[in-house]
Amino acid sequence: MKKLFRAAAVAAATALALTACGGGGSSADPANVAPTGEIKPREISWLLSRPADGAVINIMKKLADDYAKDHPGFELNLITTPDRPSYIQKLETLAAANKLPELFDTDATPFAQQLAGQGKMVDAEKLLKSLDLYDSYRPGALDYQRFDDGSLFMIPFQFELEFIWYNKALLQKAGVSVPTSLDDIPAMCTALRSAGITPIAIDGQDQWPLERYVAYQPFREAGPDFVQQLKKGDAAFADAAGQKTVNWMADLGKADCFQEGFSAQGYSDAQNLFTNGEAAMYNIGTWELPSLATDKLNPAVRDDIDFFTLPTTSGSATAANEFVSPSGIGMAVNTKTYDPLVSDFLKFALQKYPAEYAATGALSPTTDVETAVPANATPLYKKALEQANNLGAKQAMPWDTQLDPTTNGRLQQELVLLVQGDITPAQFTETMDKAIGQNAPKFFK
Amino acid sequence: MLPNRSRTSVLVFLLPPLLLYCAAVLFPILQSLFLSFFSWNGISDMEFVGLDNYVRMFVADDIFWRAFLNALVYLAICLVLQLGGALVVASLLTSLRRGRELIKTLYLLPAVISTVAIAFLFVRIYSIDPVGLLNQLLHWIGLGSLERPWLSDVNTVLAAVSAPEGWRFTGLYMLIIYAALIAVPKELEEAAVLDGASKWTLFTKIRFPYIRPVWITTTIMATTYGLRGFDIPYLMTNGGPGQSSELLTTYMYKTAFTSTDFGYASTISVFIVIECLVAVGLILFLLKRKAD
Repeated sequence: MKKLFRAAAVAAATALALTACGGGGSSADPANVAPTGEIKPREISWLLSRPADGAVINIMKKLADDYAKDHPGFELNLITTPDRPSYIQKLETLAAANKLPELFDTDATPFAQQLAGQGKMVDAEKLLKSLDLYDSYRPGALDYQRFDDGSLFMIPFQFELEFIWYNKALLQKAGVSVPTSLDDIPAMCTALRSAGITPIAIDGQDQWPLERYVAYQPFREAGPDFVQQLKKGDAAFADAAGQKTVNWMADLGKADCFQEGFSAQGYSDAQNLFTNGEAAMYNIGTWELPSLATDKLNPAVRDDIDFFTLPTTSGSATAANEFVSPSGIGMAVNTKTYDPLVSDFLKFALQKYPAEYAATGALSPTTDVETAVPANATPLYKKALEQANNLGAKQAMPWDTQLDPTTNGRLQQELVLLVQGDITPAQFTETMDKAIGQNAPKFFK
Repeated sequence: MLPNRSRTSVLVFLLPPLLLYCAAVLFPILQSLFLSFFSWNGISDMEFVGLDNYVRMFVADDIFWRAFLNALVYLAICLVLQLGGALVVASLLTSLRRGRELIKTLYLLPAVISTVAIAFLFVRIYSIDPVGLLNQLLHWIGLGSLERPWLSDVNTVLAAVSAPEGWRFTGLYMLIIYAALIAVPKELEEAAVLDGASKWTLFTKIRFPYIRPVWITTTIMATTYGLRGFDIPYLMTNGGPGQSSELLTTYMYKTAFTSTDFGYASTISVFIVIECLVAVGLILFLLKRKAD
């Protein structure tokens, strides 16, 4: 038995050592964006995290079919995992086994930055420049994909704007008006609650929606740099901007801003609450335009729905036209499998994609096409799209793509406790600053 | 006793399943043990850190201890519902004359429903806005003051995520215990009744001692399943709010696949393996000692 045990231990050690070695090696050059040689059609895969019947997948499927007509034998295998936590797990496991496919989705997370640092992703800035497409992209769409050092390794396929949608009739009923400052919101919630209205509908189950709120005050108070410093431990929740957001979140909780039991409610629960006319406000992006600004919206509230952009604060470091404008999860190109075929297909697809995408009524990450407003749209649809033409240079980054994953997980948990009043702002500050101190050095050496 | 030649053939036939078992169970455990001495995020170089992960787990990680205590409470609730509930239902079933099969099937039903469906079902049952079944029932019977968002309240969430797991497998253990109970020789029971034994004495002196071996097995099964419980809490609350329903298993999963801290996650998994072994040892020790 002892012998068997020893043999198994050695086998375990060897297997691990082998995978570890395998993980390190990658010979291709990330800067070589135009590989030379013959285009040999084959099946390539894209590991992605987007809705299975969404516009991006449908268009890319169609473009791949078109490409295959001239390149028999080519096939684009789309493997989608829309649930983000499951997707990230899949991606990280494949990355650990060094088995990433030709194309894969990722946000500009610290993990992705490590992958890029190891030369596993093709330089997207060079790639887009070589295709002569770089200048057609919205600067904001590309900036969203950049790492802290300004490098670009992911290509965006969307461009979205996040607004606070509200129900005019409910605000009127409670005798409140659209907030001019973020600081007005807690008092507004109290007034809405007294009128028997749920102030804000939020999807607590997915955690990122609540995490958006914690990013707002620092973005207004100290600009986009705050989270960049916070994640490295160079700024803290104990700082002025940090304390402002911690206390504001606690105030939102005290004023009962969110629906009761929000932490166990999902995406559609929150949206239904708003579209049924029960909740007064709902923070969501333009990807929901088809449900919020077309005749699909509940007729009972259709004429009462409007939106406002993220309010500023007095002495705000950022302007009213600067808010959360993400370009969604980006697509990275694997250096190891990058060859003339992948390069040629990307050239074909990326040139045709914007026009096809804009035709579906969505905002393209490029500026060279005009979005088609669907026939069943309400006037709000056009109003929402127009906001994209007048954006400032800074954008509020969602914190879940910025913080290291352990700190991010802890923040999501502690935020719920803070808003529910289960912990005090002081306890929150202490826990989070400690968590950043422990975890940040591992990711941002 | 088998003759020599056939003993060899038995060994030959036993070898493949043994090898499969080693590859599927022992190897991953050893691999975890090995990884637990390293710091590794999957794509970085593996760095040997000695016992650092263990020190961190026992001394510096508040979530680990919270998750451990939660796991014990979760286990206790599951055991009470599964074993206690199963024993009560099985005992009642033996005294039933008609409809046994129907009741057995009904009780077993949750065990065959998919976990995801059960999790969603219970999220709805516990919901307050829109009002779920539990809060509605409380309202109807005049206990409206107890209405609450069961999954968002840090005081109730752990019990709320434990109950579905307990409820789910009650039927399965009921079936096992019922089978053992009906195997108790009738003449033993009749003799005891003639001697004037009450129902309770009959149960504690005749029936229970008779089913003890089956009871030990079901206790071990229920305990190890309880200690490994993961899916329902993960799906219902993802460990929240805060760490109120975080179990060792969900915490280990997050450490591995969200934080990509495979070394530390392996350390936690080694702890879970040892914890299960200790639990089984304790059960055998306690129940065997009682029997002697």
